[in-house]
Amino acid sequence: MAFRSDTLVEESRAAALPRKGAMRRIFDRNIHAYVFLLPWLIGFFGLTLGPALASLYLSFTNYDLLQSPDWVGAANYVRIATADPKFAASMKVTFLYVLLSVPLKLAFALLIAMAFNRGIKGLTLYRAIFYLPSLLGSSVAIAVLWRQLFASDGLVNMALWQLFGYEGPSWISNPNYSLYTLVILSIWQFGSPMIIFLAGLRQIPADMYEAAEIDGASKQRQFFRITLPLLTPVIFFNAVIQTIEAFKAFTPAFIISEGTGGPINSTLFYTLYLYQEAFGFFRMGYASALAWVLVVIISLFTAFSFLSARYWVHYDD
Amino acid sequence: MTDAVTSSRPSLGGQRSPIRSVLLHGALILFSLAMLYPILWMISGSLRPQEELFGSSSLIPSSVDLGGYIRGWTGLRVSFGQFFWNSLFIAVLATIGNVVGCSLAAFAFARLRFGGRNFWFALMLGTLMLPYHVVLIPQYILFLELGWVNTSLPLIVPKYLATDAFFIFLMVQFFRGIPRELDEAAVMDGCSPFRIYWKIMLPLSLPVLATAAIFSFIWTWDDFFGPLIYLNDINTYTVQLGLRSFVDSTGSSDWTALFAMSNLSLVPVFLFFLFFQRLLIEGIATTGMKR
Repeated sequence: MAFRSDTLVEESRAAALPRKGAMRRIFDRNIHAYVFLLPWLIGFFGLTLGPALASLYLSFTNYDLLQSPDWVGAANYVRIATADPKFAASMKVTFLYVLLSVPLKLAFALLIAMAFNRGIKGLTLYRAIFYLPSLLGSSVAIAVLWRQLFASDGLVNMALWQLFGYEGPSWISNPNYSLYTLVILSIWQFGSPMIIFLAGLRQIPADMYEAAEIDGASKQRQFFRITLPLLTPVIFFNAVIQTIEAFKAFTPAFIISEGTGGPINSTLFYTLYLYQEAFGFFRMGYASALAWVLVVIISLFTAFSFLSARYWVHYDD
Repeated sequence: MTDAVTSSRPSLGGQRSPIRSVLLHGALILFSLAMLYPILWMISGSLRPQEELFGSSSLIPSSVDLGGYIRGWTGLRVSFGQFFWNSLFIAVLATIGNVVGCSLAAFAFARLRFGGRNFWFALMLGTLMLPYHVVLIPQYILFLELGWVNTSLPLIVPKYLATDAFFIFLMVQFFRGIPRELDEAAVMDGCSPFRIYWKIMLPLSLPVLATAAIFSFIWTWDDFFGPLIYLNDINTYTVQLGLRSFVDSTGSSDWTALFAMSNLSLVPVFLFFLFFQRLLIEGIATTGMKR
């Protein structure tokens, strides 16, 4: 007896309850499905949609948790756009961080993945070693370690002194360098995009390279004409994911600057600023407006990525 | 799905000269060492006599001194034992919640037909893109009103309500790959959807459930932002919050003890890495997880 596969559940109900009407069957199968879906539905309305709408409302108010929200119209947004030097500073820091860390991280990831691609002994071990920092990197422990590495008497300066006789500054307490220590921390975690690149490289059919080889194409040419174009969907994917993550970075900046975003706002990531406004000063309305500005920025960025994709991402079909 | 990802690919043509191969390995080994040096430095630093941490970039301590671990463990008003217990409690319950909550929703989306399925599915995908900052403040107000601040409930209960849409998506993809003939046969035998979920789908989905569980555990264990907001009483602190307080209280005066506690905080994640490396790497390769 053949069932059409996608109507599995309701047909069986029909077989089991032949006398009940069609409406009853539909009702039954809906009930079952919605029982499964119930936890998610509660979460969706109670913890996602409801709060998102509430924060949209709060962003037009002043609210300090004690007195009820005070409607101020677009004042919060106006202040963000025109009269908030800390907002401007945090945007500058965040964009600099995104623009530096994402391309460098992806370049590293691709470079190492390429080195592995041609089949190499010990791949599993190398890959594990390079992946480990990705797994550990967002923890407080690694941020603590970074504070030591880039302190004035930390490992980096010790090594610089021993190798080159150069006396380095305190990298984390110098506003000219502090952000770059965080960029290095991000690049250090190139392991997970590397794994995604490796999986992508495996999808490229080997006979393409063989054909190119027969036609006498150089390795360089093979890279630019075969590998890179066929890898663009993976590059695109990695770039979007890593950029969104970079916009949301929080923990390392918080630990390294002890929650201040200093020195002189040089590590004031956007999320850190938002946290300070909400849970340091309890300006919940203003912080909600900041959150919505972040959504708009991330959405604009994502939309732009997808629009640009049609010009540089190569799809088979 | 296993071999495509983990087995090394046969070399193309295999025409790499031995010299180039040695050079490549040499470069990779040097690079691996450079990558791991900070972590090894932290491990060796935690075992040194305190005064030796500065002035030598060598990894070998002159003598092994466990003092850092002893000073660190009791370095705050509440011992790290309490923080570890709190972290473990939250991570285990949150992990169970994620697996249960997300698999229920994923089963409905992947296997049941019902009115509004595509609508809800699209909404679920939409929540994937939403930064949590948007829901942060109203959620905080909600949990404050419920009297849940300073308890672990805000960090656990939402997981049972499948708020990590990413894992739903992951499971839907996997469930769809399981042959329908299996549940068709079960339906013919009069199996209810609940039994199909419990007796057929879950046992056949152990790889994806394990992947989701491992990543849930690691992410919850590492989470700093959630505990930072909801846990203000030192007795409720997780390990990550404990470490942060320890940094603030010792400043840069006792790196040995700070390193010792940092190392301990990484042990659970490292154990998962050691035993489930394959699942972790496959998880990333097949789904593109962010870390």
